[in-house]
Amino acid sequence: MIVLNDRIIPWQPTVIAGPKQAMLVTPETATMMIKKARRPLMVVGPLAKRQEVLEHTVKIIRHFDLPVVATADTYRALSEAGIESEPHGIVEITNLLKDPSWEGIRGEGQHDLVIFIGCIYYIASQGLSSLKHFAPHIKTLTICKTFHSNADASFPNMDDDEWFRYLEKMYAE
Amino acid sequence: MIDVAPESKKAKDLKGDFWDAKNIQISIGEIITEEKPPEEEVKGPKPRPHVTDLRSWDMKLLERYEPFYAPFCDMCCLCTYGKCELLGKKGACGIDAATQQARTVLLACLIGTAAHAGHARHLVDHLIERLGEDYKIDLGSNVDIEAPITRTVMGKRPATLGDLREVMDYAEEQMSHLLSACHTGQEGDSKDFESKAFHAGLMDDLTREVADLAQIVALDLPKGDEDAPLVELGFGTIDTEKPVVLCIGHNVLPGADIVDYLDENEMEDQVEVCGICCAAIDVTRYNEAAKVVGPLSKQLRFIRSGVADVIVVDEQCVRTDVLEEALKNRSAVIATTDKMCLGLPDMTDEDPDKIVNDLINGNIEGALILDPEKVGEVAVKTAMKLAPIRKSLKKLPDIDEIIELASECTDCGWCQRVCPNSLPVMDAVKKAADGDLSKLEEMAIEELCYTCGRCEQECERNIPIVSMVTKAGERRVKDEKYRIRAGRGPAQDVEIRRVGAPIVLGDIPGVVAFVGCSNYPEGGKDVALMAKEFLERNYIVVTTGCGAMSIGEYRDEDGQTLYEKYGGQFDAKGLVNMGSCVSNAHVSGAAIKIANIFAQKPLEGNFEEIADYILNRVGACGVAWGAYSQKAAAIATGVNRWGIPVVLGPHGSKYRRLFLGRADDEEKWKLKDLRTGEVIDGEPAPEHLLYAAENREEATVMIAKLCIRPTDTPKGRQMKLSNYIDLHRKYLGTIPDDIDRFIRTEKDIPIVYKRDVMKILEEKNWKPRELPKEPSLLER
Repeated sequence: MIVLNDRIIPWQPTVIAGPKQAMLVTPETATMMIKKARRPLMVVGPLAKRQEVLEHTVKIIRHFDLPVVATADTYRALSEAGIESEPHGIVEITNLLKDPSWEGIRGEGQHDLVIFIGCIYYIASQGLSSLKHFAPHIKTLTICKTFHSNADASFPNMDDDEWFRYLEKMYAE
Repeated sequence: MIDVAPESKKAKDLKGDFWDAKNIQISIGEIITEEKPPEEEVKGPKPRPHVTDLRSWDMKLLERYEPFYAPFCDMCCLCTYGKCELLGKKGACGIDAATQQARTVLLACLIGTAAHAGHARHLVDHLIERLGEDYKIDLGSNVDIEAPITRTVMGKRPATLGDLREVMDYAEEQMSHLLSACHTGQEGDSKDFESKAFHAGLMDDLTREVADLAQIVALDLPKGDEDAPLVELGFGTIDTEKPVVLCIGHNVLPGADIVDYLDENEMEDQVEVCGICCAAIDVTRYNEAAKVVGPLSKQLRFIRSGVADVIVVDEQCVRTDVLEEALKNRSAVIATTDKMCLGLPDMTDEDPDKIVNDLINGNIEGALILDPEKVGEVAVKTAMKLAPIRKSLKKLPDIDEIIELASECTDCGWCQRVCPNSLPVMDAVKKAADGDLSKLEEMAIEELCYTCGRCEQECERNIPIVSMVTKAGERRVKDEKYRIRAGRGPAQDVEIRRVGAPIVLGDIPGVVAFVGCSNYPEGGKDVALMAKEFLERNYIVVTTGCGAMSIGEYRDEDGQTLYEKYGGQFDAKGLVNMGSCVSNAHVSGAAIKIANIFAQKPLEGNFEEIADYILNRVGACGVAWGAYSQKAAAIATGVNRWGIPVVLGPHGSKYRRLFLGRADDEEKWKLKDLRTGEVIDGEPAPEHLLYAAENREEATVMIAKLCIRPTDTPKGRQMKLSNYIDLHRKYLGTIPDDIDRFIRTEKDIPIVYKRDVMKILEEKNWKPRELPKEPSLLER
């Protein structure tokens, strides 16, 4: 039996849904995807409240001037870090993203790229599955330290040190 | 007239020839044959609705709360055309991804409904065999509306156990039609599948009501008693010096007969009878001397602890490897229902003493005994004989062994990757290798680990992680002593009369029901904290099943459990444990009774009008924070059809389907005012019908919001918005940005927040709007 590279087996391996798997991306590719997008959106979940993660997240948001949705209770942490965001449950924002006619967070039209960080793995995986199936108008990118096979593009599984280096590369150019 | 019913309602007393004369009543001077009362007249349009009869109501719900699908799998694997991949494609039969999700949801709901229906059918048939089909359904003088769901759906009240059998016949027929729709080449529309899932949920509601009614009346369980006794809960309450019989599952009958056998032989003080999951709840409803070990999450931990000498399993939520696990500790296993035979020899017709000897001598690995009374005798005798033998067995690794086992860890990390909650299992094991068991202990005590055992399955060195967690938690086990109020059954009619108006008008800000299983993202404490939050805010907090146990496993800052602090009345600040899974019927039952008792809506055959009333007026919200099972899927879907929203924990997203509203689409919230006949602007109240929250904080805010209803008076609305704003500020730090959607006139604005809210209203160019007098989704 061939053992696949652990870095690109979904973090929770049983979320594998079918033949289509996310593209493994480097920070450089992730950056390029954001730059190329016309209306990107950053979705920040509660696992990003951890101080070190929050600092990187804030820098990425500022670097790319991203509109932000905060899921669960992340709104307060972002607000205290000086980031304006709109609070939505992860299932609510996913539902809005599915609708091609939704005007988006800034009222400028539906987003074409959604970047996820800090959402709880398995519910994020479900949200990504929903977008994979029912939102062909949107690309999804996850920049967590866990590989998300239901995204279009994802960072690999890695430890904190490597992850923080990945995140830093995104805003340090 | 002389009442010839025996005073004792114990299961054992209900046996014998006496009941062969069940249709006879004795009056002075003559013998009369009881006459059945005439069938009640059906008042509503749709008694005994067939699969499609309530479809128009379902479509109204689905138009407002569109299904949100999150496929767990991109494939369909149900027929030999496939596997078919459905990502952007249709399958060989023509099905698309959305429809396949809906089909899977219907299947899940039907599995759940079948579990409750099988349970109910078994209870009803068994109790009829014991008591006769004319045995009266009587919940006492405080409960006239004894079966609100049955009355509404069947179009008549059930007067006897025999009538309950008729309800089961109807429900089983409907389930058969619904299941057939899942076959390849039948239903082809996702919303029609959802309508069928609603119908499955309604059948689930119905059969749960049947099951609980049957056991309440036949076994004399509490009949809506707000002062039901406080019973013992927790590992630490079990006296391990005595032989211990553990019941796992949901069917009360074997547990009741165990208690009766002890009672009959004056052995009550010699054997500990305890339970896990709903069997525990129902046995303590039957006899308060029994003890509740805890929710489902305790199962493997308790079995591995080796405390139980005999493990009696019945049905639903039992680990399917229970026999393998029990054999490791030489605990004897007795399977008691056709749902779970575990490959064991059928000993139902054997002499009890022979079964005991076979179990003790290891001639059989366990026994299948389908006679609950015989289970009672065999379980007790086996425990008495086995306990001294087992005392010398070492059941868990000792500390040195844990350190040695932990040192085998290869750092692969797969234990935490397969952990449903990604707990830092490997870190805890590594620490243990250094002699520090604190992280393993934390996993046990905080109940972060619900002992699913997936980590062990993955470990390449076969490290028995759950046993290590169990051992590490052992020294704190003695502290796990709590109290839970025994399940009281339904809300009394007099209580509904008292709270009906305050609920509908909003003076009581809501009824929040914490139900379901223990697939918690961060331990059971979250459920208790949510319950506490709403109790302190004057809500009625209702609970059942594992959720009720988790609430009991928390002590507040005063060292009290919430059951000790709050009374069991169905009223503001009441913490109402209604009972087990099947008692969830009383949650929707209470909402239905409000429509009937307070608003005088006729129930019989009148589902749509009742559901419409509940959706628009009864500020109730279900919370299934640890929902994991197909039963929970059926329960939530059934409750949803009555118009009651439900919040799930994050694992609930794996059910693949939610019902989400779109607050930004005003057209979706238009209401018909039946008083004026006009269509008027409404509000997103309730905003969602089935929602999954990522963490407790999000859920708490959402629950408060989902209790808002169009009929709130300005005073009631102020109170509800006060809670919504308070909680939003507490957890997110601000006044909610959507507050304008829920302000109809300035009178709705909570005084404390008036200035801040007015500022938001001005920014949003808010305009006052009319309050609906009689809001409805119906056309009349």
